[in-house]
Amino acid sequence: MLNVRICVGTYCYITGSSDLIKLKDRLPEEIKDKVSFIGSACLGCDESEENPNPPYAKVGDVLIKQCNEEKLLDEIYSQLGIER
Amino acid sequence: MLANTKKLFIEVGSFQQNKFGNSVCGDSVLMHKSIEENRTIAVVSDGLGSGVKANVLSTMTASMALNFRIRREPIVRTAKIIMDTLPIDSVRNISYATFTIIDIESDGNAKFVEYDNPQLLMIRDGSIHELKKEEFRISRDETQKDSNDRMIMLSDIDLQKEDRLICFSDGVTQSGIGNMEMPFGWGSGVNDFIVETLKEDPYISARELSRKIVKQSEFNDIFKPKDDTSCVVLYVREPRKLLICTGPPFKEDNDKYLAEIVKNYKGKKIVCGGTTSKIVSRELNLEIEVDLKDVVSSIPPVSRMKGIDLVTEGIITLGSLSEILERELPYNIDQKGADWDIYRMILDADVIDIVAGTKINIAHQDPTLPVELEIRRNVVKKLAQLLEKQYMKSVNLKFI
Repeated sequence: MLNVRICVGTYCYITGSSDLIKLKDRLPEEIKDKVSFIGSACLGCDESEENPNPPYAKVGDVLIKQCNEEKLLDEIYSQLGIER
Repeated sequence: MLANTKKLFIEVGSFQQNKFGNSVCGDSVLMHKSIEENRTIAVVSDGLGSGVKANVLSTMTASMALNFRIRREPIVRTAKIIMDTLPIDSVRNISYATFTIIDIESDGNAKFVEYDNPQLLMIRDGSIHELKKEEFRISRDETQKDSNDRMIMLSDIDLQKEDRLICFSDGVTQSGIGNMEMPFGWGSGVNDFIVETLKEDPYISARELSRKIVKQSEFNDIFKPKDDTSCVVLYVREPRKLLICTGPPFKEDNDKYLAEIVKNYKGKKIVCGGTTSKIVSRELNLEIEVDLKDVVSSIPPVSRMKGIDLVTEGIITLGSLSEILERELPYNIDQKGADWDIYRMILDADVIDIVAGTKINIAHQDPTLPVELEIRRNVVKKLAQLLEKQYMKSVNLKFI
């Protein structure tokens, strides 16, 4: 199982993670059973950087800044080694 | 910061139902809780007739009674002024609104004044405790057309823990009139109902009990209440405590202090805020799990942490909570979402301790954000005010 963590802290939530967490209900068939979506209270955007780039998500150990659906799916596919 | 809990705590709950087809309630229920004096005053008044006219009469009566009591005016004078002030009904040629005043001092001494409402009930040890009542005659001005003297009933008692005071308008006792089962109305049946209810649930909250009584009266009238129905319950109990932690401390050194407060608190605990929950999780070595199953569109999902009753996002949830609190009861409280979860926990609590970290998240002040985010300190202050004034909770607010 590949862990996908989505930050649902205030900053990330209003900059787009509210949509990202809904992605779990409409994942493409071929990856549906291979990933598990987990929320996270905060992935650390507020303290680690001068200029934060929310929303943040983490696929496995890779942190994605300014995450959107495209970026997230790209990373998931590449880590699973499946052609998109 | 944790308030002195040795004092008697009085939970006040009320519920009202309008006469069927009426949009205004002819009964008035007013309550006042003075934090400095630790004094609780409640007034129930039933205006003559129903609808707007009754509402005006009862509101006038209740607010006069309440304000005179707050200023500790003599009771007889209060009653006389109220009776002399009400306008005279053009149809019935009398001026009239009933009232019951309940005034509880910090030492537990309670004074009651009753005028024509159904008898005030006092419940002690699960059964009805008879109050010794003293009748008092209030003479009318000779200028008034209706010159009958009026009787008020005075009584007082020292309250103990687990005592309950229950006061309702005649909409309760007269509900069900004309039914096969209760041709003359519910009458003293309500007493048995209350005793029965308490047997089933000895620790039922004042809010729940008042609601049950009014709902049962509505049922007696087959869901078309024939009169305005109101009920107030005062319940002397061990205060139920709730801790709300929100926001990271201004100084990082205080992170540990925050975690200690959460760890050692005796009562329900809520942590609001991503960073805050991360601090608590780090200091107490507890894992956070975010639940993505039940996501309500506008509010970020709740998380779980062992030993914490509720973990939510911070400022969006609190903002929405204060919007809910600002609206008036009653409405459907069984809605989904982190904000409603907090709301329900607040309703069940008597003492609310709020610990707010004042560190400002600079990123939140970005003017290009799609949603306006309030500064935490302001939101929390507003919450505390609402809870004290409108919900009669004792609130301890601490900034760290």
